[in-house]
Amino acid sequence: MARNRIYQEEEFPSPLVQSWHYFRQNKVVMFGFGSFVFLFLLAIFSPVLTPYSSFENNLDHLLVPPAWDVNGDVSFLLGTDNLGRDMLSRLMHGASLTFGLSFVVVIISLLIGVFIGSISALTTGIKSIFLNHFLDVILSIPSLLLAIIIVAILGPGLGNTLWAIVLVLIPQFVHITKNAVKDEFSKDYVLASRLDGANSFRILSYSIFPNIIEKIIRQATLAQSAAILDIAALGFLGLGAPIPLPEWGAMLSNGLDLFYIAPWTVYLPGLAILFSVVATNLVGEGMRHALKQSKEN
Amino acid sequence: MLTFTLRRINLLLITIFLLTLVSFSLNFLFPGDPLVNLSGRINPTPEQLLILSEQYQHNANFFIQYWTYLQHIFKGELGVSMASRLPINSEIINLLPATIELSMTALIIAMCIGIPIGFIAAINHKKITDNIILTIAMLGYSVPVFWLALVAILVFSIQLNWLPSAGQISLLYEIKHVTGIQFIDILLSDSEYKWQAFQNASSHIILPACVVALAPGTLFIRLARTAMLDVLETGYIRAAKAKGLSFTQIIYRHAIRNALINVIRHVGLQFANLMTLAMVTEVIFNWPGIGRWLIESIYQRDYTAIQAGLLVLSSFIFIVHILTDFIYAALNPLARDSKHGT
Repeated sequence: MARNRIYQEEEFPSPLVQSWHYFRQNKVVMFGFGSFVFLFLLAIFSPVLTPYSSFENNLDHLLVPPAWDVNGDVSFLLGTDNLGRDMLSRLMHGASLTFGLSFVVVIISLLIGVFIGSISALTTGIKSIFLNHFLDVILSIPSLLLAIIIVAILGPGLGNTLWAIVLVLIPQFVHITKNAVKDEFSKDYVLASRLDGANSFRILSYSIFPNIIEKIIRQATLAQSAAILDIAALGFLGLGAPIPLPEWGAMLSNGLDLFYIAPWTVYLPGLAILFSVVATNLVGEGMRHALKQSKEN
Repeated sequence: MLTFTLRRINLLLITIFLLTLVSFSLNFLFPGDPLVNLSGRINPTPEQLLILSEQYQHNANFFIQYWTYLQHIFKGELGVSMASRLPINSEIINLLPATIELSMTALIIAMCIGIPIGFIAAINHKKITDNIILTIAMLGYSVPVFWLALVAILVFSIQLNWLPSAGQISLLYEIKHVTGIQFIDILLSDSEYKWQAFQNASSHIILPACVVALAPGTLFIRLARTAMLDVLETGYIRAAKAKGLSFTQIIYRHAIRNALINVIRHVGLQFANLMTLAMVTEVIFNWPGIGRWLIESIYQRDYTAIQAGLLVLSSFIFIVHILTDFIYAALNPLARDSKHGT
């Protein structure tokens, strides 16, 4: 597209800004991004926004169906569960547990994984071969299975689940960072700054990271959708968050016995998980598309 | 092909070595006495403990301990289960076939439905069909599998009453356990109700297999679509077009074969994903497989069962992985050796 040049200076957008430019063009992706931001804000502000506490029992209102049902009550918009706890409040609190914690988990494993990955990209020889084989083995074991094993070692509980998922996600970040850094290192601009006398650390932080950050962000979105599903699955299996906590997976397994009488206690948390995973995946898809387009141009 | 085979077998051996190392060190990582975790004999008397430490060379150094552990595995002694007090290898032999049956059926369903739809999407690239298929695929791999299983039970078993909701076969049919794979056992048995039993068993497997197949199936859609798009851009397709072949001829004669190879390459990796989904689904559908057994062992803190189950399950996943690599190499000369053209 031809641009009117008002000013003399040439502007060169950074790779991240470039990707954002392509990212913005797709409406569906922007919807996903909006939902992602919405969930993020909900995760932070849910304690202020919720109408009821997530543990408060309303014993006069047990198993009230959602408000659109004939027997519904508008003061409990999405109904109540078997202990009379407001579903809407629990779902909102659940956003900070399932979605918010998965975000934290991804950030932690991203930092550790990128650190190990960039160091291992600089090493060569037998150490690197060993690491490669080890990563291949770890990556071939599915994340949920690995998380279940680590939980078996650490013992059930929400905190242990989170550590397990952090450990599971690290190899993926190591793998992607290592490959990306290696690719960049063979390019000419890196050679140029090496000839200028820059050491490896400087090259990494000033030349390479700005160029691979979109790849890492894309991996982070993939990791987050896996993390949400894993936290929820472990909660559902009773290995993660304990039942009284409003974690979406645990809420689902709590509603299991009353599934046939009160289906909304099961399908609402499921829809919440689905919504957050779809939002995260849409952001990841948009990222992938933007990366592809900026590569083509 | 020989170098390729040797390389794969080498990879398999290294991986299984690493896996045994992991499962061996799990005994030390789990809470409790490593010797008890290893053998599964809870509350041993001092005499028993002495015999056990003799058996597992517990007082020798780490390498000899590991070597003895390997010898036990090769003899098929995986200890006894802490919960049921049965030898673990017999439990695994009973349970693993059911899991293989479920996961293979799901894999076949996922491939037979996913791959053609992916091709259709690629042929209609950037049209409305493509977008609809992509949207469905996105939803498909975002659905949490346990929730999908519950909704499927609610709709198809409870409301419509079409399919049974739990188990492998109705208890009315008495099928002798020969291979463990239900369908083969039924065909081998000489019951006069063979045909009814077969129908019953297939109506039991449809629902769990479809639930397991959904997420891998949608991933196959995406893989097939990408593979087909890549193939349609290559030179030989352009050459075929220039030759004057019609679009259907190009697709059927050239594109599908070449795209299919690239999809098969990813089957191994998808299978690992599929096994995890199968584990969770087994819990919900009460399927008598190894996944449900493993998760129950975690509830019961049956550490011997956990480490043995992990070893068997991940070796199984990896063997399938290597097998698909072989199939891929057999179909695609390029993968065997880079000499065959570029």
